[in-house]
Amino acid sequence: MAQTPQSPQGQPAPPPPPPLRGDPVPGGGKPGLPVPFAPVLTAATGDPNSLDINNYMRRGGYSALRRAVEQMTPDDVIKDMSDSKLVGRGGAGFPTGLKWSSTKRNPGPRYLVVNADESEPGTFGNRYAIEGDPHALIEGMLLCCYAVEIKQAHIYIRGENRRGAEILERCIADAYKSGMLGKGILGKEGFDVDMYVTRGAGAYICGEETALMESLEGRRAQPRIRPPFPVEVGGGLFGRPTVVNNVETLMCAPHIINRGPGWFSSIGNPASPGPKVYTISGHVNKPGVYELPMGVTLGDLIYKYAGGVTRGKKVRAVSPGALACQFLTADHMEVTMDTATLTRPPFFTDFGPVGFGAGGIIVYSEECELIDLLVNSSGFFARESCGKCVPCREGTTWMHMMLRRMAMGGARPRDLDNLLDVAKNIGGRKTLCALGDFSVSTIGSAFRLFRPELEAAVSSRAGGATNGRATHTELPVAVVH
Amino acid sequence: MPLSQALKDRVVNDYFPRYPTKRAALMPALWMAQDELGWLSTETFEEIAELLEMDPTDVVSVASFYVQFNRKPVGRKLIEVCENPSCWVHGATETLERICHKLGLDPHAGHAGATTADGEYTVRPTECVAACDYAPAVQVNWRYYGPVKPDDAEAFLENMEKFALEKDGLVPAFGTHEPRFKDGSAWNVNPSDNGAPPPVPTPEPKQEEKK
Repeated sequence: MAQTPQSPQGQPAPPPPPPLRGDPVPGGGKPGLPVPFAPVLTAATGDPNSLDINNYMRRGGYSALRRAVEQMTPDDVIKDMSDSKLVGRGGAGFPTGLKWSSTKRNPGPRYLVVNADESEPGTFGNRYAIEGDPHALIEGMLLCCYAVEIKQAHIYIRGENRRGAEILERCIADAYKSGMLGKGILGKEGFDVDMYVTRGAGAYICGEETALMESLEGRRAQPRIRPPFPVEVGGGLFGRPTVVNNVETLMCAPHIINRGPGWFSSIGNPASPGPKVYTISGHVNKPGVYELPMGVTLGDLIYKYAGGVTRGKKVRAVSPGALACQFLTADHMEVTMDTATLTRPPFFTDFGPVGFGAGGIIVYSEECELIDLLVNSSGFFARESCGKCVPCREGTTWMHMMLRRMAMGGARPRDLDNLLDVAKNIGGRKTLCALGDFSVSTIGSAFRLFRPELEAAVSSRAGGATNGRATHTELPVAVVH
Repeated sequence: MPLSQALKDRVVNDYFPRYPTKRAALMPALWMAQDELGWLSTETFEEIAELLEMDPTDVVSVASFYVQFNRKPVGRKLIEVCENPSCWVHGATETLERICHKLGLDPHAGHAGATTADGEYTVRPTECVAACDYAPAVQVNWRYYGPVKPDDAEAFLENMEKFALEKDGLVPAFGTHEPRFKDGSAWNVNPSDNGAPPPVPTPEPKQEEKK
């Protein structure tokens, strides 16, 4: 199998690359005309030479940085980022321009931290991005450092992605050699940036920005109390104002500077525009990475791009933003997959927003037993809860144990109500970070959407009649804190 | 076994200048120690604590938080099978069981893992390794392999390279800024470069449009 992401551009004539600033706009510049979408973030992925800095420069790399340094003030860069309406791609959906400008309002020294701890089950776009086009990330980071006047940037990459860490280390060394890092970058006096890679060591919670910074400081990765927020003095890395950005967010920055904020904001859903790297896995024929305009419909993603559901089955449930999100069903095929849609009514329920996360879509066909899926997902959160907040630490374990009991045929009459009661006491911002909310979103939405099915499954298994499906539920509770 | 002087020098010279506190070098120090010794013993924790001017218990409390730091010896091949939903729907649990069965290990040992008597293999489930498109994904010493379907478990143990997703022959050289190939040569993707530093790009013609 090829490592390249399955590009949606399988048609005979691929659309031309998006225009640079100053180029004539397709359609004669008349607003409202559709511009053919061409991938930019994953355009180089799969090319074995894409890690080479010379190759990146031949592709136009570091020209955005050059443009920024030579023609723009730092505030111009921030203004472009704000005008592009780029929102963070990590899941929270915070406007990037606002994050940069509010960090800059606070006194230096400031830090940039790149959140490359992509541990959400079902999300793997950042891994492809880092392995496919690492210099684009470095250029995006340099643009942020230029705009926010930052002298030190840290990439925190998950421990499992050892290859990604090695690639980044190598590319950073190359960038130092060619004068893109270090002192006086591109001849600009005072534009000094040092970049370091730090590896995590297998903790889901490190994807949470304050926990990530705790880990970078050499502590257990447990989230901090906010305020102070990371952008403020006292809240960031080593107590300094800090920009924490996702990999994909920063990789958008060179394209925004090169092609203009208008180009970016014209793509996809106007409320959260831009190209988006969707990752699809689970019961689909062509799982993989698909770069599409933000706001493609769920049905298109599954049937047009990912090749439909395996063995021609029907969709039972979909996690739109990996495991931390609520389920969607086969009735939601017309829903557009973007941050703005999935975090606002009607996709805002008792258990919070349905959520889009980082765009990792997991499809479950009707072959998937929901109760077993819930056992699996609740076990993940029970193991990955960091243990700082009591509702999450205790509740996730209890939910997992109750679900296991139900799946194994030992359900007690009040188990279902108990489960929802526990879930309500974890969810709804009762914990310091969002892991508590995440842990109940699958369970809460499963009982909202599929309660009759789940009740039937639980009662049919009562007394141990597990239809031969319970092998994995026989694993002991192995909660690792 | 004590830590090498080279490792200690690297922590002091390479990592201390990066951070305002010595403690912040803890994660890299633990990784380097584990890469050198294979696992982290009480003795190692004490050495690192002395180096970073921390309390040994403090070092252990951090190391025990992260599942990738081994606090007991593991096999030369650490096989981790992802069991999260994307891999689970493709039979990851059965893959894990069949790998364990083939090696004579307890598949229910949980996340602590089980090691063969000859110290060759340790097998354990793990959380998502971000290779969901190659489900069920497996990592061996944190290198990517997949997809390893349940029926492929035996073939996987016989010939892992067939399932490898990383094929460029890099040996781990994290933190050195100098990754090397197995033959000892430095990384050089483009052979025509001869290791010379890449040139600074020539400025592109200035665009007329000005903000």
